[in-house]
Amino acid sequence: MSREKDAANYALIFFAVLSVLLLLFPSSRVAHTVRVIASYSLYPSLHYGADYTHFIRNVPANVLALLETDQENRALREKNRDLELKLQNLSVLAEDNARLSAEMKLSRYLPWTGAWARVVNKTPSDWYGSIFIDKGSDDGIAVNDTVLGMQGDTAALAGRVFEVYPKFSKVLLLTNAAASAVCSIVPSGVEALVEGRGTWLLKMNYVPEDSGLQEGAELETAKGGLLFPAGVPVGRVSRVYPKESSMNFITADVTPLVNVNTLKEVYVVHRSLPREISETGEATP
Amino acid sequence: MTFLLEALLYLATGAFYWWWTQNLSFFGLAPDIIFAAALSAAILSGPVKAMTWGFFLGLYADLLGSGVFGGYALTYTLMAYAVYLVKRQFDMDSFFSQLVAALSLSWASMLFYMGLSLVFSRINPGSVKIFLVEPFLNALAVPALFYAFRRLKRRFGIL
Repeated sequence: MSREKDAANYALIFFAVLSVLLLLFPSSRVAHTVRVIASYSLYPSLHYGADYTHFIRNVPANVLALLETDQENRALREKNRDLELKLQNLSVLAEDNARLSAEMKLSRYLPWTGAWARVVNKTPSDWYGSIFIDKGSDDGIAVNDTVLGMQGDTAALAGRVFEVYPKFSKVLLLTNAAASAVCSIVPSGVEALVEGRGTWLLKMNYVPEDSGLQEGAELETAKGGLLFPAGVPVGRVSRVYPKESSMNFITADVTPLVNVNTLKEVYVVHRSLPREISETGEATP
Repeated sequence: MTFLLEALLYLATGAFYWWWTQNLSFFGLAPDIIFAAALSAAILSGPVKAMTWGFFLGLYADLLGSGVFGGYALTYTLMAYAVYLVKRQFDMDSFFSQLVAALSLSWASMLFYMGLSLVFSRINPGSVKIFLVEPFLNALAVPALFYAFRRLKRRFGIL
């Protein structure tokens, strides 16, 4: 026990003296510089407040400049990261701005009155069926209002308002399997029924065999269809099917002009349909 | 071999302390792992080894800090000696005694280091926030570290 106590006392004296020596003679220039560099490597910060002057005492100016440059470099890198983030946001805003400007410009030439709305929701299980927009009855939206989508410099038929709530509305897309529109082939004016199929393609039905329908033909809403204003571009014929023996008309695939996948804003055309038609529209999608 | 393992434990403790203060400090507060390690080693080891650990752990803390160099080394050496003296009278293996020791020695070592700093560099390194909160965090860290160190001691014969 006494031996252990002696050893403890010797150890205490040894380490205490060593510590006091370090406290008294700490700062040969080289030793202090090494300490500062080691410390900085573990904690790369020079924010020591009032201790800073004490911390950098005896450190050669070039080493200090190196540390301060590193600090500056870190700060700049952080700033650069922030700026890159801002730049990315700005480029998205610029894209939005360009698109909205084009749409605004286009809407000035539309022969219909209406309101712009933003697409706020798409249902994954009903991707080509319906969308929700951020305008509702509070904004004057009514059931069966025609919904146009902007594709490049063209306003084309996207669908019609199906359900209206105070702040938002549900739009039945033309690609919905339950949606249809009476269309006419440009320029011949032959009318046929364009129906949704629940996919990105539409089906054109009841086209007379002798109509001379060809791939690439453009379609627009017909005067005969009361639900939509006449003359709204709908799509382009992408494939014409030959007449089947049991039928006396031909069918065709139509690629809609409005791409549901890129639809961000829509223009809702206010219709003042007679009440009877409006009610019929509500009953049959 | 034991020496190598102890050196490894020393480095691991330093790295753990560095990692904790870099990632897990809230409002600038974190338990002083170096202090907790020095105290745990002091409780577990014989006096000479305890002081050696205290000295070198203190040296590491001095290296990291901006204060007087050698201040922590002296503080933790003296703390290890004090624990050696207390250990002869009290059982320090129990949770409660470690808690009390951690609390009292935290405050004592802070005051002692503050005094050293004022004497040798005329800088007061104290902060009321740390003075009031850190001892309690240390009191929680010491039993955990003690438990880990004791397991290492039993398994590898170090400390």
